Amino acid sequence: MTAINRRRFVRGALSTALAGPLLAHPALVKLGRAADFSGQTLRFMIINPHAGSVDPLSAAFAELTGAEVESVSVPYDQITAQSTLDVMSGTNDMDVFEYWYVDKEALVRDGILADITDRIAADPEIDPDDFLGSLYDTYTLVNGRRYGLPYDGDTHVLFFNRTILERNGVEPPATWDDYTQVAKAITEAEGNGGVHGALLMGKQFPIIIGSSYANRLGGFGGNFLDADGNPALATDAGIAAAQAMLDAAPWAVPTPLETEFGNSIPVFLSGGAAMIEFWTDLGTWSQDPGQSQIVDEWGVVPMPVGGGNTVNRPALNAGFGFGVSSGSGNQDMAWEFVRMAASKEFHTRVLTDNTTGVDPTRRSALPAYRDFAPLQADAVEQAIGNAFSWPTKPESPELMQVLADELGAMLAGDKTAEQAMQDADNAWQDILG
Amino acid sequence: MSDVALNRIRTGLMGLVMLFFIFPMIFMFMVSLKSQSDIASGGFFPEQLFWQNYPDAFGSVAVATFLRNSIIVATVGALITLLIAVPATHTIVRHQVGGKFLPAFILATYVAPPIVALLPLFFLLRSTGLINTSIGLAIVYGVMNLPVAFWLLSSFVRHLPVDFEEAARIDGAGHLGVLRHIVVPLMLPGIISTGIICMILGYNEFLLASFFTRSEATQTLPVGLSLFQGDRQLRFGQMAVASLVGIIPLYFLAAFFQRWLIRGLTTGGVR
Amino acid sequence: MTVAPGVAAMPRGQALLRGNRFDRRRLVLWGLTAPLVLGLVVFAVYPFIYLVFLSFSKSNLGTLFQDWVGWANYGDAVGDPKFTASLLRSTMFALVTTAVTLVLGMAVALLLDTAVRGRHLLRTLMLLPLLTPPVTVAVMWQLLLMPKGGWVNSFLMDLSLLSQPVSFLGSPVFAFPAISLADVWQWTPFVAIMIFAALQTLPEDIFEAAQLDGASRTQSFFYVTLPMLLPALFTIAVLKLVIAFKVFDLVFVLTAGGPGQRTTVSSFHIYRVAIQQFNVGLAAAQTLVFAVLVGLVTLPFTTAHDWALKKFH
Repeated sequence: MTAINRRRFVRGALSTALAGPLLAHPALVKLGRAADFSGQTLRFMIINPHAGSVDPLSAAFAELTGAEVESVSVPYDQITAQSTLDVMSGTNDMDVFEYWYVDKEALVRDGILADITDRIAADPEIDPDDFLGSLYDTYTLVNGRRYGLPYDGDTHVLFFNRTILERNGVEPPATWDDYTQVAKAITEAEGNGGVHGALLMGKQFPIIIGSSYANRLGGFGGNFLDADGNPALATDAGIAAAQAMLDAAPWAVPTPLETEFGNSIPVFLSGGAAMIEFWTDLGTWSQDPGQSQIVDEWGVVPMPVGGGNTVNRPALNAGFGFGVSSGSGNQDMAWEFVRMAASKEFHTRVLTDNTTGVDPTRRSALPAYRDFAPLQADAVEQAIGNAFSWPTKPESPELMQVLADELGAMLAGDKTAEQAMQDADNAWQDILG
Repeated sequence: MSDVALNRIRTGLMGLVMLFFIFPMIFMFMVSLKSQSDIASGGFFPEQLFWQNYPDAFGSVAVATFLRNSIIVATVGALITLLIAVPATHTIVRHQVGGKFLPAFILATYVAPPIVALLPLFFLLRSTGLINTSIGLAIVYGVMNLPVAFWLLSSFVRHLPVDFEEAARIDGAGHLGVLRHIVVPLMLPGIISTGIICMILGYNEFLLASFFTRSEATQTLPVGLSLFQGDRQLRFGQMAVASLVGIIPLYFLAAFFQRWLIRGLTTGGVR
Repeated sequence: MTVAPGVAAMPRGQALLRGNRFDRRRLVLWGLTAPLVLGLVVFAVYPFIYLVFLSFSKSNLGTLFQDWVGWANYGDAVGDPKFTASLLRSTMFALVTTAVTLVLGMAVALLLDTAVRGRHLLRTLMLLPLLTPPVTVAVMWQLLLMPKGGWVNSFLMDLSLLSQPVSFLGSPVFAFPAISLADVWQWTPFVAIMIFAALQTLPEDIFEAAQLDGASRTQSFFYVTLPMLLPALFTIAVLKLVIAFKVFDLVFVLTAGGPGQRTTVSSFHIYRVAIQQFNVGLAAAQTLVFAVLVGLVTLPFTTAHDWALKKFH
């Protein structure tokens, strides 16, 4: 996911106009074989925070195939509903959907995404082994079949403001206890001056508050579901993770329940908070003098750990792929788009452009990424290598909403961490039957 | 207390009330002139006028297109409402077509929350090919606002002197003739104000619009505004600009049709 | 109600006896009514029936009508404490905002009625909140209330009433009042204009009589104006209640139902069940339960209206 500096939805004409400069881009020349779809129109649906990807995607596809390209941006929490409605109602306006990997089984159960296993197998240029860590299977595999290809490999890392930390004589935290202490020290010292120890994203959208929880869950060595697929929230790790959020909340920018990415970034970039868990592309914005007052003043570390756990296990927070709509009238063309968006060359190109909102999915793109974003490359590489996933069951949309509600109730002071996790665990058992 | 003192108090109160109603708008205007860092500092006036939000807002979201869509949908919707509601209301009220049941039924349909209609109407629009079109949304608004129009118009009909209609009828005019030559001209103020109110309702609607229109070419302003909310960085200045641009047409409408609008809301009072 | 003599008032049998002319007449009358009836059947009755069927089925957004499940969805709906709490919250919201807008609206209407200066200007300015799209109203209040850069916070801090900015919309205590405030801001003008109009219909001579009897302003308000206004007030209350039960945009933009469930009103809860959890069958049952509640809550007000109309007019 990422910034939208430009949210124009590019129409065919514009795509063609943009294709000129792109032609010269050395990476694009290697996009591989091109089918000719001139005279046809490809329509894709994309989440609003990826609107910066629309221009590059449209232009490249128009250049590659001669097709006209149209797109629809929808809020990220509506993408699954909107794509489902499109196919289920028979509207079939779209050829390609962007999808949140957490909802993949729900989409496959309802027949929204087309099975592209054979297309992938027949395509030598995909090179699945090149996808980082477990990302390929996590994003695309349902019951042994493939339904999409990764586009945006989101994980969180911990960003900190070095100046604020040094001013207060504290080090970047290695454990979640440290994190709370650091946040507390800074807020106690500078809170009245408007500088807080941390930004804790707790707005009750699954993708927001769920990410904050997942960061801690991984740190304490927990999982959303156990090996048998049963809820594992009411475990020591699950409860400790919730408690860690609760402990940090008083020292975070007020108040975590109202904090999401839209209002966090300006605060962090203006030096108003010392720490924030965020998607990796925050680094490139922090270095951009046009929007940042903390150029060269920030750093990044892997997510802290906690309890008896010492191995950092970051979570795949957010994370999106592209899939072919089962209602598309031209699945060959749709597939062409999906494979282009996931290709090594195109991924490298959008990865090294901080307006597209794309984080690494492919190993082969990492060298270029290192040149582009040297400060965060290490943390990102380590993070994504052994990241763990959110539940991807058909019931996931409901599961994550329940969890978000319980965490919200906890932060609002209605429940203890233990109660909240016990209630969430029970609700999950009900939902999963 | 003397009347003079009382009047002073009233004038003072009046000022306070006015301030309460316009303050949020004034503050939004101020925000539209602030840079991002200026907004964070929280003062009332901008430290420095930052006009850049205006071109930026138009550049980052298709504010102009959204505005155009909203105006089209609201206007066409209101016309549909009037076209259906004016003859029907007159007929129902004057000639008691449908007895007591029909008026009660019409008003009852207004009570249901709009989420009721989301899925079924989506399918309906889909099967008629009207999904994701401005005309489809206009039809939805046109029909959904019928109860409101019926409610507003029926009090106008009741205030219409019957004599004219009778006279015309005696002169041999048929029902349609009476409607066209007597009722509509006499009710014109009521029709205009009802139309404006229905237009505003359509212009402001959000939930259905966010599902029935998806491409930029058809999305309305409230939907466009809501897109700012999911942004990676909340651009408050641009949000304020887009919001202001969206309400300016309404405020002109209000200034221009103020008399009709108030009459529409108040005809005969409510009992 | 006035009826055109000799036309619709005529007994049906007699009209038929008069032959073709009246058959045609009735055809025309129904013809003019038909588009409205048809429109509402398609856009209100059909969705309603559809919803009833949905509510008895296991349905998710991707696959509707998988199975008939009897009353199971209703059981799930009323058995879910989060949903029942949202019903209570919606009712609270409706009652509170209605009460507040009625009191404020009455005050403003009296001001409009009696003030010497500025009436015209106030009447125009008051229309503005009413015209503003709820999404925009939400944006305005978001700007006013946000912790960093919101005017309310910096104002209270300048007055030293606050030492730390308060996140009103994220606060368990303030979120619900904040949403209510935005709603009151939007709807008070509407209520005020309606009450003002009702005031204009009260006959002058009653007030003159009261004044002659030596009643003070306060007395004549409570003993003459208020009782005379009661029927209108109840009608306005019903309208405002219905509007308040429908509230969605404000919650959607300002709090997304949070913090916790503190501002999750039923309309928003149902939206989430249908659109984010895709359980359309359950959402349908919840909607119908909700509609019944709206009817139950507004019923006493309609009854009171009829009672007041009989008693005071």
